[in-house]
Amino acid sequence: MTGSHADPRAVAETSHTEAAEDLAQIRASVAEVLDGQADLRRTHEVMVGEQGYDPLLHELLTAELGLLGLVVPEHLGGLGLDVAAATAVIEELGARLVPGALATSLTAILAARALGPNAEPLLARVVDEQLTLAVALAEDGAGWDLEQTATRATGAGDEWALTGTKTVVAGVEAARVVLVTARNPGGELGVYAVDLAADGVDVRTHMTLDQTRRLSTVHLRGAAASRVDAPGGEGARVLLDHVRAMLALESAAAARACLDLTVDYLKVREQFGRPIGSFQALKHRCADLAVAVAGARATADHLVTTLRTGAATRSHDAALAKLVCADTLMTVAAEAIQLHGGIGFTFEHHAHLFFKRGKSTQLLAGSPTAVRAEVAALAGL
Amino acid sequence: MSDEQFRAEIRGWLQEALTGPFAEAVGTGGEGREHEAHELRREWERHLGRAGWIGLSWPTEYGGRPATLAQQVIFHEEYARAGAPGRLGHMSEQLLGPTLLAFGTPEQKARFLPRITSGEDIWCQGYSEPGAGSDLAGVRTRAVRRGDHYVITGQKVWTSLAHLADWCFVLCRTDPGSTRHAGLSYLLVPMDQPGVTVRPITQLTGTSEFNEVFFDEAVAAVEHRVGAEGEGWKVAMGTLGFERGVSTLGQQIGFRRRLDAVIARAHSNGAWLEPALRDRLVDAYIGLEVMRHSAVRLLASAGEGLSGLEASISKLQWATWNRSLGELAVDVEGAGALLTGPGYELDDAQTHFLFSRANTIYGGSNEIQRNIIAERLLGLPR
Repeated sequence: MTGSHADPRAVAETSHTEAAEDLAQIRASVAEVLDGQADLRRTHEVMVGEQGYDPLLHELLTAELGLLGLVVPEHLGGLGLDVAAATAVIEELGARLVPGALATSLTAILAARALGPNAEPLLARVVDEQLTLAVALAEDGAGWDLEQTATRATGAGDEWALTGTKTVVAGVEAARVVLVTARNPGGELGVYAVDLAADGVDVRTHMTLDQTRRLSTVHLRGAAASRVDAPGGEGARVLLDHVRAMLALESAAAARACLDLTVDYLKVREQFGRPIGSFQALKHRCADLAVAVAGARATADHLVTTLRTGAATRSHDAALAKLVCADTLMTVAAEAIQLHGGIGFTFEHHAHLFFKRGKSTQLLAGSPTAVRAEVAALAGL
Repeated sequence: MSDEQFRAEIRGWLQEALTGPFAEAVGTGGEGREHEAHELRREWERHLGRAGWIGLSWPTEYGGRPATLAQQVIFHEEYARAGAPGRLGHMSEQLLGPTLLAFGTPEQKARFLPRITSGEDIWCQGYSEPGAGSDLAGVRTRAVRRGDHYVITGQKVWTSLAHLADWCFVLCRTDPGSTRHAGLSYLLVPMDQPGVTVRPITQLTGTSEFNEVFFDEAVAAVEHRVGAEGEGWKVAMGTLGFERGVSTLGQQIGFRRRLDAVIARAHSNGAWLEPALRDRLVDAYIGLEVMRHSAVRLLASAGEGLSGLEASISKLQWATWNRSLGELAVDVEGAGALLTGPGYELDDAQTHFLFSRANTIYGGSNEIQRNIIAERLLGLPR
């Protein structure tokens, strides 16, 4: 980390009228670090490695750049910046398919901010202890249907014990605390924080189709936990909506990056004596992709506004953006492989990374079919 | 005036205006329905003009009124929400007006703009020719200068509303040896003269919005040439930029009304219970949401107006979406959609299904829009 990067802590002290410039500065400083440390070639190296993420980069972004405290309120030790600051970082990570739990952590922090006072001790710990967070929602058989959550929470007040199994949890390998949805003896669904080092927590991390995103099974057998949402609230829903928001923002940015990669190739690759990007059949496909990418971008931007303003349409907007952005990434990435020809089919080339990320984004936090049905219900169709 | 005050004002005005004689005009006109209620809609144009709702953002000296881009969008939204009649003055206001403001002489502006803002003159667009289609540079209609007049000979086609228009803005070749984009001039031609013949084209809807227009030594005054002689291409391209401009941002409300109607029909006749149809309807809803957010995003970044590029993305989105909804409308209806009224009279779903095929052809086909996006947004080689 050199002194040339803007220090977000200094940025936070400037006035609201400079918010847009601050945001651009944060985005630029994160992008600069990532361009140097986390290009797609590096992603390739990291994803096939033992750990599945880059601890040095993680340290650089958290401890040195202070990104975990970005949107944590000032009275809890954070920088107290707007939602948009965290979402900008999530986009920069998503565009480069960076493996790890930083995006998940920022997502969990954004959700925790929306959960109310019970989440404040956790947010204070995030800054004090540089806690990286993961989010565990899905269960075997239930998927992301919150109603079917079977993980049990017993106890009261600050002392809870969780028992159950969460599946396809992203980012656990890099995290120290996981936010878990569970049902208390009264049947009420809540959100609990569990230290991954606690007794009764067993994590098994799997090899994954999308190697940029390791997934784990988290077994909880009476694991100590604290409740982070307000009883009687909709904490689990808040968590799910934010996970979908993260997937939407990541994939909108990735779709754009993948299209850029492809267009750049079509400009230089020659066949029959001319750049293949001059063939109308290919141009038209790229134009359709550009329109799709612009549409995905628009739904992601709208979602950020929704999160900033705390609009009542959060669940609808998050579901819709997740669906649209993931489908767009899948489409762009599939076309990227085809438009690159043989090279696009190789492991060395980057196109398959986007393709696999597209599929994992489509299937996590609700399949396209399930989310489409949810959107219809939320829209009152 | 705040945007909300502006919205309240136009909403209130429309509510009151669409009573009495104009109540009959509600829902008339528009795509595939241009044959409806001509006289009443012509009077409606004048009514709109008298109330100052034409030429939003134009200078007040020409009868316009100050309005921001956001307010123009609000106007179109409220207009659609109220089901107000399809505009006969669309081309006058959205195409010719901005062209004159950008390229016209002071005399031309003073002569023509107030008659547009008052709803008096209806204009049509004379660009396309047989065999040229989207390739506007293939213009063969020629204009020969004779004293203070041009004498025009040739044929235009796909001229919307020519049978109702008072004037036509015509792209002509004024330099006989020229080809392509060079040697063209932009002339304002009165339709009510001996050398102009309009022949309606019967479309696949059985109705006629489009026409063939024949110029047989028709005349246009030299002082009614917009821009320099031979530089008509530049002026015409300016017009096309306006064509895909602000009104498309406001059309979301109208689209939502149509979608809601199709979904309501699917609920009432049981089509909603058919999973494949329901998925298509939900996808249509999602597509419209994407367009809506895209429009808001364009609006936020547009400043003065839309660039041609942004307009191309928007045109491709809505034309494709609306055509799909047209197909859905009849699929939801089922075999009942096959029966028409006497004289091939079509209902809303049938009209939508058939007419929306034009959306992806007119105003620059989908293929033309894709070329623009590929070359100018993505920088792919020609």
